Amino acid sequence: MRFDADYFEALETPRMARLAENVVAAAFPLMKLMPARFILDRAEASGEIKRNAHIVETTSGTFGMAVALLAAARGYRLTLVTASSLMDPKYQARLQRLGAEVIALDDPRGDGNQTGRLDNLGSILHREPEAFWTRQYDSDGNWLAYARLADLFVRAMGQIDCLVGCIGTGGSLCGTGTFLRRVFPHLRIIGVDTHRSILFGQPLGKRVLRGLGNSVLPRNVRHELIDEIHWVGAYPAFHAAHRLFRQHGIFMGPTSGAAALVGQWVSKTSPDARIAVIMPDEGHRHADTVYSDIWLSTLPGWRTPASTTPTKISRIEPRSETAWTRFEWRRRRLEDVMRLQSTEG
Amino acid sequence: MTRPESSPHPPASSTNALRVNRSGAGRAGAHHGELIQGVFQDQRGRLHRGLVTLPLSHMSSLAIFRITDGQGVKVMPPEKTKAAKAASLTLRHLNEHNRGGLLTVESTIPVGHGYGSSTADVVATIRAVAYAFEMGLRPSVISRLAVEAEQASDAIAFEDQAVLFAQREGLVIEHFGDALPPIRVIGFKANDGQLVDTLALPPARYSSEEIQTFSMLRGLAARSIRFQDPRLLGQAATLSAKISQRHLAKAQFATALAIADQFDACGVQVAHSGSLIGIILDASAVRIADASRNIAEAATAAGFKDVVVQPIYSGGGAVEI
Repeated sequence: MRFDADYFEALETPRMARLAENVVAAAFPLMKLMPARFILDRAEASGEIKRNAHIVETTSGTFGMAVALLAAARGYRLTLVTASSLMDPKYQARLQRLGAEVIALDDPRGDGNQTGRLDNLGSILHREPEAFWTRQYDSDGNWLAYARLADLFVRAMGQIDCLVGCIGTGGSLCGTGTFLRRVFPHLRIIGVDTHRSILFGQPLGKRVLRGLGNSVLPRNVRHELIDEIHWVGAYPAFHAAHRLFRQHGIFMGPTSGAAALVGQWVSKTSPDARIAVIMPDEGHRHADTVYSDIWLSTLPGWRTPASTTPTKISRIEPRSETAWTRFEWRRRRLEDVMRLQSTEG
Repeated sequence: MTRPESSPHPPASSTNALRVNRSGAGRAGAHHGELIQGVFQDQRGRLHRGLVTLPLSHMSSLAIFRITDGQGVKVMPPEKTKAAKAASLTLRHLNEHNRGGLLTVESTIPVGHGYGSSTADVVATIRAVAYAFEMGLRPSVISRLAVEAEQASDAIAFEDQAVLFAQREGLVIEHFGDALPPIRVIGFKANDGQLVDTLALPPARYSSEEIQTFSMLRGLAARSIRFQDPRLLGQAATLSAKISQRHLAKAQFATALAIADQFDACGVQVAHSGSLIGIILDASAVRIADASRNIAEAATAAGFKDVVVQPIYSGGGAVEI
């Protein structure tokens, strides 16, 4: 039954790439295998998920791929609910090749239609109460899985002073950060988000950089762990991904570019800190977009120089896709920050 | 497992095949509790209770086993029943079922605080019986026999080699490949030095979050041993001690943490099933004597009992018999 355990553990293991003297990045082929495998393993061990069960999840990206790989290998039926704007036909075909049913909803507002997706998923669960929802947004299994990444980071680096990572569900950054801070209480945790994601108080809108940020607030995002938040626009993230490829030979997706960009900035501003960076996925899915000059030239304002350092802001607000801003969150709760924002306005 | 088949302790002498009245001596050291203890995954993903022992170099048990004609093991003093059982198990392991012997065990290790007095008796006995038959047993075999004799054991048979040891199964979960980094421990007893009955304690029930935390602790231990980093080892030990505090609380644990902090020590370790607390120092640091004295004074002033600077067994060859 568990013949696959070692193989998937190897597949989820990141390469540790040194991006600067004091920066080590975990470059994942497919980071979401880590929580997906952990959540399924736990559900199997507890009997919550039975043989040949039906698994459901709402996802626009790599968590779906991770569950699809596991579901195919372990013999589960899988339904993924996504938005048509977020999943290109090739990726959808790869998921279907693995046997997953993909329901792609319309997304007229361009915000990912997460509420519509959750409604759809709710109706499946209503019809099939036995179906198993992996719940990456609020399952403890999501963040608990990242103890393994904390283990890999300490084996590679020893003491760690700063952790930089993207936030979408909150699992990877808040999970890894929770474990690392247990042993390194001084650990600075820096989150990477993008303009018009609501996670850290920006108003909802159309996001060009996908794979991080969110239009709804998952329970696994724990604001009180975060020391500083960066909103990286799509264009600085794309440039950073290109640089990662050219300078380090690492072909990663644009969210990894955004994380590397922030990590390298921290390494310059805090040269004595030992910095760990999480880079969640590879660039292949983006070959026809982020890595295509033809596609890039169609983007409004792409030729405008993108920010190379973050602008420190005290009022949380969206900026253009060329902009990169940062805000000192200081381990506060979202409502506490927002209350101050409204009174200071 | 790359340890040699033979033990570093040679048999006392070699004689002819008639072994009656031949004797062997074995010694085993105490420990100061553990650096980390929890549950850990093996390579197949199964969980095992495991620990990394903190061996001491100055207290030990000495066992002498004299082969007698006929079966049965007689032990002095008679209350050392686990040692007697270990002697019988070792005879069986050596295919010497028909032999018996007289076992005497002497120990300088205090009982009931987490110094591992029982395991030291048992390991010393297993070694003594093997030497009486001119055999050396490897640490993994000694550990397995020890667990069989006393239900839960520790990794003292591995001497200065740091291993993650499954104390209820007698298995090595991970060899860390070297001795511990150079450390010194200022040890003392919490809870007014009251005794703890180790085997009467129910095994700790850990939460999912604690179990996940242990996987990182294992990584920290591996890194600290590979790079001989006392501070990182201290940080790992401190977190393990904090988790232990939720399962077997020691009075004034927070005071010990504060003392360690105040004198910039590497960390705090505990006997996870005892009353011992140790403040870990980097043995190669400058002014280590001053730091040791200051910490010892602060611990005494805070009301801790039996404050001692504990020499740690890390490298430097085998224990002398």
